Amino acid sequence: MERYKKYVPAALAALLALLLARTFFSVRETEFVLVTQFGKPVYTVTEPGLHVKWFFRSATYFDRRLRIYNPRPSEFLTRDKKNLVIECYVAWQIADPKTFVQTVGDPVAAEMRLHDIIWSSLAAAVGTHDMDALIAPSPQAVRTQDMLDEVTQLTDARALERYGIRVADVRIKRLNLPEQNKQSVYARMRAERERIARRYRAEGEEQALKIRADADRQKQEILSAAYKQAEEIKGQGDAEATRIYSNAYSRNPAFYKLLRTLEAYKKIFGDDKTTAILSSDSELLKVMMEGERAAR
Amino acid sequence: MSLTGVAKPGTHPEHEHPHAHEHPHPHERRPPIWRRHPRRIAGALLLLWLLSGVYIVPADQQAVVTRFGKVVEPRVMPGIHIAWPWPLERVTKLKVQQLQRLIIGGDISDGILGRTDPRISQFLTGDQNLIHMRVVVQYSVGEPAQYLFRAENVSKAVGAAVEAELAHRVANRGVDAVLTTEKAAIQEEVRAAAQKIIDAYGIGVLLASVNIESAQPPPEAADAFRDVAGARADAARIVNEAHGYANDVIPRARGEAQRLLAEAEAYRRRKINEALGDASRFSQVAREYQRARQITGRRLYLETMEKILPRIRKLVVDKSGNLDLTIIRKGAPPAKPPPKQ
Repeated sequence: MERYKKYVPAALAALLALLLARTFFSVRETEFVLVTQFGKPVYTVTEPGLHVKWFFRSATYFDRRLRIYNPRPSEFLTRDKKNLVIECYVAWQIADPKTFVQTVGDPVAAEMRLHDIIWSSLAAAVGTHDMDALIAPSPQAVRTQDMLDEVTQLTDARALERYGIRVADVRIKRLNLPEQNKQSVYARMRAERERIARRYRAEGEEQALKIRADADRQKQEILSAAYKQAEEIKGQGDAEATRIYSNAYSRNPAFYKLLRTLEAYKKIFGDDKTTAILSSDSELLKVMMEGERAAR
Repeated sequence: MSLTGVAKPGTHPEHEHPHAHEHPHPHERRPPIWRRHPRRIAGALLLLWLLSGVYIVPADQQAVVTRFGKVVEPRVMPGIHIAWPWPLERVTKLKVQQLQRLIIGGDISDGILGRTDPRISQFLTGDQNLIHMRVVVQYSVGEPAQYLFRAENVSKAVGAAVEAELAHRVANRGVDAVLTTEKAAIQEEVRAAAQKIIDAYGIGVLLASVNIESAQPPPEAADAFRDVAGARADAARIVNEAHGYANDVIPRARGEAQRLLAEAEAYRRRKINEALGDASRFSQVAREYQRARQITGRRLYLETMEKILPRIRKLVVDKSGNLDLTIIRKGAPPAKPPPKQ
C-alpha cells in the first residue's frame, strides 16, 4: 500500500483534470451543442462560449452553418402542360438539433429528405402556374419570386417540424427546356432571326427609297422654281427692250420704216440663189439707161 | 500549466538545502536551472505565455477574436493588438480586400478553349430562346465574423445566389435585350439583388461585381444571329447610299438653278443693252435723216442695193417687153448647164 502512496496525488490530479474536461465545454459560433445523458438528449446549447454541464453528461456538436444543397435538375410540368427543366438550390441549416439527431442524424441524409419535400412542393407550385408566369419577356409578368416564397415557406414549415431543419431559401438557379425539345427550339430561333433579318433589310430599302424619292422631288422643285424665275427675268428683259425700241422708233416712224425695210432686204436677199429681175425703168437703173438726165 | 508552476516552488527548498550545506565542489553536479530558480522560470514562462497574446494585423487584413468559440471582437483593424493567449482566445486574420472570383457557366479554361457545356452555360430567355452565358463574380469580405462562421461554403452560397438572380433576370427579358442592349442593366440588377439575398443569409460577403463575360446564341443558331447583324449593316449601308445620292443630286440641282438664273439675268441685260444701243443708233441716224431727208433716204437705199445686188443674179428687162420667163434658166451660170432643153 505504502509504495502506491506516491501515485495518489497524480491520480487525483488526473481525475480532477478529467472531471474539469467533462464539465467545461466551449461552443463555437459555427456549432450547436446537444447535451445528452446516456444517449438521451437533455437540452441544446445555442449560445457560443464557455459552458458547464454535469460530467456524466456528454456533448454532441452540430454544424449550425448555412448549407447550400443543389438537387439534381428535374423536369416539371406547368399548368398549361409544358415541360420545364428546373435546377434549384436550397439554403438550409440545422435549427433544432434534438429533432435533427432523432430523425435524420447527418447532413447527407438530411439532404435526401429535403429533396423529397422540395421536389413535391415545387412540382405542386409549378403545376399551378402557366409557363408565362415563369418565363416571359417582361419583368411584370414573371411571378417566380412569389411562387418560390410560397415553396420556401411550405418546405420550411415541414422540414422544421419533421427534421429540425430551417429552410432559409429555395431558389431557381436555372431554367431550361427538356433536351428533346431543343432541336425545335433552335429551329424556331433560326426562323425568328431570319424574319428579323428580312425585316431589317426591307426597312432599310424602304428608308433608302424614301430618301431617294425625296431628293428627286427636291431636285425638280429647285429646277422648276429656277426655270420660272429665269423666264420672268428674260421676260423683263424682253419687255424693257421692246419699250426702248418702241420709244425710239415711235418718234420717227417713217425713217424707221425705211431703215427697217432696207435692213430686211439685206437679209432677205442675202444669198446667191436669188435671181432679181430688175426693170430698166427702176430708179436704180434709170441712170444707166437714160443717162445723166435721169438723175436730176 | 500554471497550477503545476505554482506547485513546484513548494517542494523546492527541501531539495535545495542539503546541497547548499555541502557545496564542496561548485562545478560538480550543479542542479539544472529550473531547480535553482523555479519561480523566475515559472514567472518568465507565464510572461511569455501572456505575451503570446500579442498579435499584429497587417494593413491589408482584419481579424476576428473568439473566446471559447464566441466572437468577442468581430472586426479588429490593422495594427498591433493584444488578446488573451491560447487556448482562451483565438485570433483569425482575413484578407478582407482581396477579391475572390467565381465563374458561373463553365470555368476559365472552357472560355479559353472555346468549349461550352450546354447544361452548364445554357440559360432560357423570356421569349424562350436558349443562350450561352458565362458570368464572372467578384466578391470580398464585408463582415469578417459573419464570413468566417455563418456559411459552410461561402463561395457556393454566393454562386448560388448570383446564379438564381441571373436566371431570374434572363427569364424576364427577350433574347435581344440580354445579348445586347440590357446587358449592363442585368449585371447591375443581378449584383444588387444577389447582394440582398446574401445579406439575408448573413454570410458577410460584399459583391464587388457581376460581369457578363460572354453571352452568345447557341452554335445551332449562331449563323442566323450573325445574319441579323449583317442585315442591320446592310440596311444601314443602303440608307447611307441613299443619303449619298441625295447629297449628290440636290447640290447639283441648286447649281443648275443658279446657272439658269445667271443665264436669264445675262439675257435680260443683253436684251436691254442691245435695245439701248439700237435705239441710240437709230435716234442719231434719224436726227441726221430729218436734216436731209431726200439725200439720206436715197443714199441709204443705194447703199443697201450695193450690198445686196453683187451677191445675187440679176436680169434686167425692158419695161415695154413681155417677160419670157425662160430667160431665167438661160441666165444660169455656165458651170451649171440646164438639165433639159
